[in-house]
Amino acid sequence: MAKLEELIANEENRVLCLGNEAIARGAIEAGVQLFAAYPGTPSSEASTAIIAASKRLGFYAEWSTNEKVAFETAYAASISGIRAMTACKHVGINVLADALYSAAYMGTKGGFVLLVGDDPHCFSSQNEQDSRWLGVSAQVPVLEPSNPQEAKEFTKLAFEISEKFESILVVRSTTRISHARSDVQFDKYETSLREGDFEKSNRYKCLPALARANHPKLVAKMESIKEWIPESGLSVIEGQNGIEYGIITSGISYAYVKDALEILDKDSPILKLGMVAPLDEKTILEFARDKKNIIFIEEVDPYLEDRISALFIQNGIVPKIHGKCSGITKKYHELNSRLVAEALQSVIGGELASVGEIQKAEGEITDFIPFRPPLFCPGCQHRAAFWELSKVVRKNKGIFASDIGCYSLDPWVTDTILCMGAGISMANGFSRVIKDKPIFAYIGDSTFFHTGLTALANAVYHKANINILVLDNRMTAMTGFQPNPTENIDIAEVAKSLGVEYVVVFDPYDFENGKKIFEDALQHEGPTVIIMRKICANEWWRQQRRSGQKIEVYHIDPETCIACGTCIVQYQCPAISWSIETNSKGKKYSIIDPSMCTGCSVCSQICPVEAISKAVDIDE
Amino acid sequence: MSKTYQMIVCGVGGQGILTITDIIVIAARKKGLHVLGSEVHGMAQKGGSVVTNLKIGEKLHSPTNPIGTCEVLVGLEQNESLRYMKFLKPGGIAITSNTVLFPISWKKDKEAAENAKEKIEENITKFDVKLVMIEAENLAIEAGLALTQNIVLLGALSQVEEFPLTEDELRNALKQRVPVKYVEQNLKAFELGIKAAKIL
Repeated sequence: MAKLEELIANEENRVLCLGNEAIARGAIEAGVQLFAAYPGTPSSEASTAIIAASKRLGFYAEWSTNEKVAFETAYAASISGIRAMTACKHVGINVLADALYSAAYMGTKGGFVLLVGDDPHCFSSQNEQDSRWLGVSAQVPVLEPSNPQEAKEFTKLAFEISEKFESILVVRSTTRISHARSDVQFDKYETSLREGDFEKSNRYKCLPALARANHPKLVAKMESIKEWIPESGLSVIEGQNGIEYGIITSGISYAYVKDALEILDKDSPILKLGMVAPLDEKTILEFARDKKNIIFIEEVDPYLEDRISALFIQNGIVPKIHGKCSGITKKYHELNSRLVAEALQSVIGGELASVGEIQKAEGEITDFIPFRPPLFCPGCQHRAAFWELSKVVRKNKGIFASDIGCYSLDPWVTDTILCMGAGISMANGFSRVIKDKPIFAYIGDSTFFHTGLTALANAVYHKANINILVLDNRMTAMTGFQPNPTENIDIAEVAKSLGVEYVVVFDPYDFENGKKIFEDALQHEGPTVIIMRKICANEWWRQQRRSGQKIEVYHIDPETCIACGTCIVQYQCPAISWSIETNSKGKKYSIIDPSMCTGCSVCSQICPVEAISKAVDIDE
Repeated sequence: MSKTYQMIVCGVGGQGILTITDIIVIAARKKGLHVLGSEVHGMAQKGGSVVTNLKIGEKLHSPTNPIGTCEVLVGLEQNESLRYMKFLKPGGIAITSNTVLFPISWKKDKEAAENAKEKIEENITKFDVKLVMIEAENLAIEAGLALTQNIVLLGALSQVEEFPLTEDELRNALKQRVPVKYVEQNLKAFELGIKAAKIL
């Protein structure tokens, strides 16, 4: 990844960076002066980079408690005349949507950019929601870059367009843009920090009468942006002109089209749309008017296809449409150059090497290749906590509503995972209709402050008979160890002040104690809050190593080990595996990889024959 | 170079996959070549199956390599090499460590795991590829740092005939990328990788 020095250096330079870092540089070159965001893959690195840069460049930036808070914080700066930005993953849009839809009516002043990272293929997400539709539903312009360089340029441009039209600008990236790595040209930028000022106006109040007046203005604004696009250079027509075929595409799909045409050794006119909302109707109609076939290449939803097909009908042109409607690409998962080449070949022909032999071999090995899901890290306190819990939950046939975070990886007891903050609310719902089983909710510290707080207040208010387990690992670990309010707001105090009578804090490595606490909590009427507090083992391990601290690892005695598999198969610590050699009884035994062990001691606590103990240091 | 060089690096999260990609990318940039890669972040940080795509060349568009397109695969773990073997073009080169990290399903059944382990290579031969099996773990230990298995494989990669970067170019990038206090062990690992590839 690019270094902070390179990201902020005010000079022309070609820098190797992630798409997300290119976006951050675009914001820096545009002179962003307030940034607020909640992390979420694949958007997080953009926020991390801008927040790191803010300290050096002297502007305000924060990790907010959720996407809505972040959006509103940035929006206030924008209507005070300051360039502001927020960023989130696609599902984060759902959290900030309440603010977005009304802010779109009211408009902006200082350039305002909303970066959204979509995740076709669900690499690290719960759905494949397509944010381009915001252009229609929220009536905000959407820019879609097709590579990291464009991601930087479009971000910069977004601030300018936003100021020109007083409109919120969405920059839509996808995983393959955000996490692409390439060399990006950085430019010089102006550094002049401005003071904000708020000019009082009725347009910033979304009262019914004012909103009714604002809506026609928003529609007119989108019309004027639409009229402006042809002169912006955002719509690009490439390839030989011809009347047989034309390809309409945008974003990463454009990159696949370019590679696919090279693979097929074919040429075709391409219309690449840099702005996907509003649509550049003039250029689209000019491009398509004399063509017999229009091919749409896009990921996930048939967004361009459906909207532009409607445009064709409205304007009386009738090319044959190829796309999701004809099945040349799917309505789900990501594309690649091969899939696009196959799609294009079915319409325009061309040669494509067969991969039949490879697919045959792949078919033969599919059952053989073991599934390797991401696991809790060695020493992870979530594993310890879930292990303790699983005993209690199973014994009592409990229902377990989990939430979004590292703890979503639990292999033992989780029954539901829906969205940020849903664990506590769903537990409330379960408790109303299931009377004979204990109900558990599980939530991390960051998710607690994100949307868990309101659900907890609701549970207390309505006296829900549920057990809320908060795993406070002191940071937002899954998205890259971002800080959050747990640093200086004690969740135990929050729960008490909300009126929770049963609040306990303990160390999840302390096993026997944990089991007792869970059993005890089950006897309590009304909501209980059990906080398991321990710094993320992964981050702790890194801190120890960086500061040259020794980690006291554990070791398994080959002769005592009975190879029962408790530590390997049941507890599933990645640092433990079966030995290659056998012991004196000719039996295999468990071994701990000292380079992975964090010294958490949990395996030594759960070993039924006490074969595991602190390793004796042979260096000393 | 006019042709785009496509490759993938795969293994288990935590094995140093991004480090190999980093070194290649640094060396390629220094040589004035364009690079485009695609990585997996987020959920798969540790213990999961991880793959990175890399393209080196002049005209680069999409960041991923579809099946049957790569010249070379560098795999830090045998199961993972097998999993991603489909990305190699017919006759492509698979440089893989002989390391086998047991996934959880194998840990449950010791015997089945042992049997399966013997069959990985047999399964690899179902693909039309040139297999270069390197004892990366042993060589890394010989180099003085078990964590340098990735660098052993990088050394082997430098011996691939049409690979666009030379030994020296990779060696220089390596010095720039790895922690100063481990440069010596990393260079040794790199040399051992070169030697291992030459013997084969």
